[in-house]
Amino acid sequence: MRRSDKYRFWVVLAILVALQFSVRSRLGGERTAPDFLLLALLIYTIRSQPGRSAAAGFLVGLLRDALTPASFGAGALAHTLVGYLSAWGKAVFFAENLFVNGCLFFAGTWLRNLVVALASGKLKGGQLGWELLVWSPVQSLTTAVAGVAVLWLFGRWLAIRLSET
Amino acid sequence: MALGADRYGSRAGTLLFLGCVALSLAAMGLPPAWRDPVAATLRQTVLAPFLQLQQQSELLRTSQSRFEQVVAQRDSAALAATFLPELRNENTRLRALLGLGQRLGSGYTPAEVLHQAAPTDPLTLEVSAGRRQGVRPLAAVVSPEGLVGIALTVDAQTCVVITWAHPEFRASAMAADGSVYGIVAPHGTEGPGVWLLALHGVPYLQSVPVGTVILTSGMGGVFPRGIPLGTVIGVAGETEGWERTYLVRPAVQPAAVTHVMILGGARGGADVQGAFPPFSENP
Repeated sequence: MRRSDKYRFWVVLAILVALQFSVRSRLGGERTAPDFLLLALLIYTIRSQPGRSAAAGFLVGLLRDALTPASFGAGALAHTLVGYLSAWGKAVFFAENLFVNGCLFFAGTWLRNLVVALASGKLKGGQLGWELLVWSPVQSLTTAVAGVAVLWLFGRWLAIRLSET
Repeated sequence: MALGADRYGSRAGTLLFLGCVALSLAAMGLPPAWRDPVAATLRQTVLAPFLQLQQQSELLRTSQSRFEQVVAQRDSAALAATFLPELRNENTRLRALLGLGQRLGSGYTPAEVLHQAAPTDPLTLEVSAGRRQGVRPLAAVVSPEGLVGIALTVDAQTCVVITWAHPEFRASAMAADGSVYGIVAPHGTEGPGVWLLALHGVPYLQSVPVGTVILTSGMGGVFPRGIPLGTVIGVAGETEGWERTYLVRPAVQPAAVTHVMILGGARGGADVQGAFPPFSENP
């Protein structure tokens, strides 16, 4: 990877963070709009080792917990798990292709929401069912679509090699 | 080409992961007295520029919407310019009828809701007004439709609001005519009553008809009297010979709220019922 690619990688992540706090509220409902912050984390984990990915997930989760104290700690736990598992899964199982990366984004978002919902203990019964079976899949889908678009546009900058299939 | 697992499975990485998990579990177990300062510090330092960005984005969005409204109003005004005196009178009447802020006087702080992408977002809201804007802890947070929640943690520029959907929310309530008093709380998370309120503690012999508007009673010294909470839609349960619990459809849906007013001057004992338009039931 060239030195300039390294800077471009961080620029893309910074753009995603900025999108989270600026554009996201205009992309539909709060529960369905893509989660750019989680997307930045997942893209980071594609290139990083599991330990570093877990640490990055912990920091991202802790910052999110500061904004939603109803689930303080649960976000840190969820993002840590997602970061670690994503980096592991990417290293062990996944091929470098857009569809597979899209599936990774989908699964990562859904798993994050699952862990937050369960660990916070605030959502139960019907609320939990709606969250996990309706809202989370929709948010996961929009996040995956956004992620695929980012990889398609900036895949070369992110040093993620995509196969033709 | 996927990288091998052996390259990734370093012991240091595993320890780092386990350390992060342990710290997360520790964070979950923190008591509110420790948790809130940590969260407030993060909001006021690392997250401050991002919250500022989100606030500016919300303002921009509102500005665009207002610009379109202004353009539409300008066109309408141009058309109706020949009826200026009538227009002026109508404007005065509408101002008298509408505008919660005008009726509340100066004792409120307007704020934008900074929604977050978390499943628990409807339980707590981050709003763009804080200590510098005059917000105090336990201030009532309202929208033109009724009560949204209560300010829990107040930072310099933002504050955290727990909504009526939060499991710890409680409000002293009464029927609009003052005939029945009780305590309103979230109904729960099971069955068809999810995202509804429950009016507890109503004496068994006092029945509350369906459609009765429930307001804050002002007792307890937290909420002013007369903020709409919702409308009775049925009986949720009863303790035989003792009390009944009624289901209440909330006046406000937290997930849909974009702007709120945080009451500052009006506390328990004050009556703000006249500031809200008559509550109408929309089944």
